Amino acid sequence: MSWDEAIAMGTLTLRVGGVAIALALGPALALGLWLARHEFRGKALVEAVIALPMLLPPVAVGLGLLLLFGRRSPLFPLLHALGIELPFTWWAAALAAALVGFPFLVRACEQAFAEVDPRFEHMARSLGYTRGSTFIRVTLPLARRGVLYGAVLAFTRGLGEFGATAVVAGIQPGRTETLALGIWSRIEQGDDSGALVLCAASFLLALAATTLAEGWLRRAPGTEGNART
Amino acid sequence: MSETEIVLRGEAGAFRLDVHAVWRDRVAVLFGPSGAGKTTLLEAIVGLRPAMRGRIRIAGHWLEDAERGLFVPVEARGLGWVPQDPTLLPHLSVRGNVRFGQRRAGARGAALLERAIEVLELGPLLDRRVEELSGGERRRVALARALASGPRAVLLDEPLSGLDRSLRARVLPFLLRVRDELGLPMFYITHDPNEAMLIGEVAVVLAGGLVIAQGSPREVLWSEAVLPFAQALGIENVLDARGLGGAAVETAGGLRLVIPADVPAGSRLRLGLRAEEILIAADPLGRISARNVLAVTVASCEVGGGQALLHLDTGAEPLVARVTASAADTLGLERGAKVYAVVKAQSLKPL
Repeated sequence: MSWDEAIAMGTLTLRVGGVAIALALGPALALGLWLARHEFRGKALVEAVIALPMLLPPVAVGLGLLLLFGRRSPLFPLLHALGIELPFTWWAAALAAALVGFPFLVRACEQAFAEVDPRFEHMARSLGYTRGSTFIRVTLPLARRGVLYGAVLAFTRGLGEFGATAVVAGIQPGRTETLALGIWSRIEQGDDSGALVLCAASFLLALAATTLAEGWLRRAPGTEGNART
Repeated sequence: MSETEIVLRGEAGAFRLDVHAVWRDRVAVLFGPSGAGKTTLLEAIVGLRPAMRGRIRIAGHWLEDAERGLFVPVEARGLGWVPQDPTLLPHLSVRGNVRFGQRRAGARGAALLERAIEVLELGPLLDRRVEELSGGERRRVALARALASGPRAVLLDEPLSGLDRSLRARVLPFLLRVRDELGLPMFYITHDPNEAMLIGEVAVVLAGGLVIAQGSPREVLWSEAVLPFAQALGIENVLDARGLGGAAVETAGGLRLVIPADVPAGSRLRLGLRAEEILIAADPLGRISARNVLAVTVASCEVGGGQALLHLDTGAEPLVARVTASAADTLGLERGAKVYAVVKAQSLKPL
């Protein structure tokens, strides 16, 4: 296995992981905030549904995506008309990674928002900030440690995603073959040293992600939790 | 100043608030024992308690009128609210926190910011991190943030609570400057009668969610309606005493006093003594009509607003006295000064 091949695979993995987080972050923030601020009957059920991608075998999640976006899906005519063909592209890998990381991200956001003292938000509102700008200027900065932690967790989970990706994106070298899929096909081919190189690359990517996040949190002031002032 | 009207009714959990008060003064003190509903009322004025319904008009400006369906949302009320907990944003510097308030003020913002920093003397603190500030400094920053927003009124929730006596003495002059120099309508919550008298032009006394009295702080705090709450309110000197026979009594702390009328020996009574009814003499007095002359030591002297509040060590029960700042200055009433406290028997009022 060549270095070029390994670097291409690493780049694809980063792209898949990055797009996955970009897809998951918005909905996860909204859902996390909503869950943190509302108590209602059936909340446990909602949380269980959100946790499903984490609880089901990843292969089942992949199958679900394939049925939803594949040729036999009732959505297919619409998707086809729009020129969207998802299965067996790297976008499918990104979607699989997003879905599998989503429960981690929602849970982390919910906990982070629950720890923000609402008095900070009241203060901001009284000074003329709307709900939206209060969220951007106060809630999110105060919750950023927890949100970032969740994002790193979901990102690294996405980097290692195998089962769902293999089903919905297939293992196509140069197109959808991420590091995790690459390791699997090297093992299949009996290329143990190639598999180990890719393992090392995965390790380095995950380490870089967590180190960057830690470093950023350490540099920013006021990160000692959301302690009342 | 145009009229301010607060008519609010509603429930917050098990607590019921039913307030009706109207005044024309600029500086109002919301006064009452803890649990009276002061903070709930202030939050309702800020717009954070929509369950409380009624009418709110501050210096002529309408914020709420349930009958007309008017409810100005929190962010549009334009108030400078300083909650009891300063809620400084930990991810911003002191400067960032004060600027956080400035945004609403638009074009006036820069001037307001400068003025707030000047009045509260925050210049040297601007680049500090919030965690490095003392309790008193945090209060000043929170106050500056509210002032930088160009508020139409200032609402302060116990701005001196939780500060020790020397810190209070340092923060109080800033509050008086804000009161006197900015000319804004002001709501000031306190459960300290001395603060109420020092700060307020009108006092609205709350207890159990109701307005029990309203008027000039000096008079209202000693009105019939408020006396039952004297102990809870910490009205300056409340003394539990026991009759010794005749007009002589001894307080729980061991202070012997003469009161206006005879009481049976062994009977128990509670006496109230206003801080300004105590005369202070620097030298021993000759023959005098006042029945009680006590040799005391000044334990502390807080000066503000032309007044001096003295805490007196009598060797038994501590007493609080109030004299003018000029008298305190002339007599040299500093901590440790040995003086005489003179109390007429008539000033000791059974509660």
